[in-house]
Amino acid sequence: MNFNASRNVGQASGPRKAKRVSDVSVMGAPSPVQAFTPPGTFEQGYAQAGPPPPYQQGIQLDPNQDFGSPAPAPAPPGNFGYMPGYPQTMPTPANIGSMIQQPIIQDMAMQYGNQLAAQGREAVSRELGRFVPVSRLRYYFAVDTRYVLRKLILIIFPYTHKEWMVKYDQESPVQPRYDVNAPDLYIPSMGYVTYVLLAGFMLGIQHRFSPEQISIQASSALAYIIFEMVLYLMTLYITNTTTALKTLDLLAFSGYKYTTMIASLLAALLLGSMGYYCSLIYCSLALSFFLVKTLRLQLLAGSQGPEQPAYGGYPSNYGNPNPYTDNWAKPSSSGTKRRVYFLLFVAITQPLLSWWLTYHLVPSAPSISPAR
Amino acid sequence: MLTLWNLFEASLLCLNAVCVLHEERFMQKMGWGANNRNQGFEDQSSMKYQVLNLVRSIRTVTRIPLIILNILTIIFKLLLG
Repeated sequence: MNFNASRNVGQASGPRKAKRVSDVSVMGAPSPVQAFTPPGTFEQGYAQAGPPPPYQQGIQLDPNQDFGSPAPAPAPPGNFGYMPGYPQTMPTPANIGSMIQQPIIQDMAMQYGNQLAAQGREAVSRELGRFVPVSRLRYYFAVDTRYVLRKLILIIFPYTHKEWMVKYDQESPVQPRYDVNAPDLYIPSMGYVTYVLLAGFMLGIQHRFSPEQISIQASSALAYIIFEMVLYLMTLYITNTTTALKTLDLLAFSGYKYTTMIASLLAALLLGSMGYYCSLIYCSLALSFFLVKTLRLQLLAGSQGPEQPAYGGYPSNYGNPNPYTDNWAKPSSSGTKRRVYFLLFVAITQPLLSWWLTYHLVPSAPSISPAR
Repeated sequence: MLTLWNLFEASLLCLNAVCVLHEERFMQKMGWGANNRNQGFEDQSSMKYQVLNLVRSIRTVTRIPLIILNILTIIFKLLLG
């Protein structure tokens, strides 16, 4: 946003007009009266003849510049290119104090700082972009309220949903806001935060709470996420199962169990231990159903080819051809069987983990009941 | 209690265990050597090949960082229990 493509253009073209930073910064324009003093004081402080002062390296202040006019908002990044010269040679120390007071130095210092910040931001985003695929992440967070609502209802009650295929848009899946079947990372991340807060709340009700508990719960849940992802990726790698499932997709699908956990914890709050187990069993079944239906299409859609899929009468080119699996050497029927096993493995570990992560939080008696 | 620190410790120990397996004295004796197996092209997709490949790559990649991580962890545990 602060990148100015013309930053280095025309830098060597001698004295140029310099726009004042205070024109375009959000701090507002200075009063015109004060702005006109710097050129006068410069010439008094240093025995140099006329503009440009040597330490400014060719920047020429134009006293006729219109300081009263508001600058256009998109202009600020462009102004970085108009001030190429910084004070290269410092004047004598006795004059520095008086120099710092003058608005032009402050402006230049601020602009220098802004430029440094912009460079730093660029460097950070570049480095981050190497480790985390930011554009891919953006896809997963492109949700809206309607999608979130429908997805939550789908996770809790997936039995009436008919069409499970993710819509594709020219060989890339559409964004979650246009298709309720697409995986997203918004619900898992919100679920994680809600789970941590709810865990703290439940511990507080049982008088087991301390502020360290929040961080312990949070890091514990995060460690389980990491462990689970490593487990799934290792399983996929070792069994040589090639699927269309990307790592972030897997992360998204494994994050949907937070919905289950939160629903079970709320039921435990209201109805005690019995409510917790009933809700856990129901939500686990619903989540397993949902995962099987969704992942079946993504895992098994890769089994194109003439071989018989092992999973009962499944047409080999189900729905649309999956563009991610066109470069296979030999998709084999044993590969399909492995994929089915992996799917079952995922569908079974999700409820187990959601039980494991919540059972230590459940109070033994209903803590919030109307008839107290 | 699985916290991030425990996970880090556990993974450090597992990586150490993988790196300690000696190529000559152990792997080849068990028939898991990386070089002298008949690397026929039909072998590439079996699970044993994948696992051994994974072990060998982990060993190559994490040998040096593991030294550093181990030293840091030892110092950390000495100082803070």
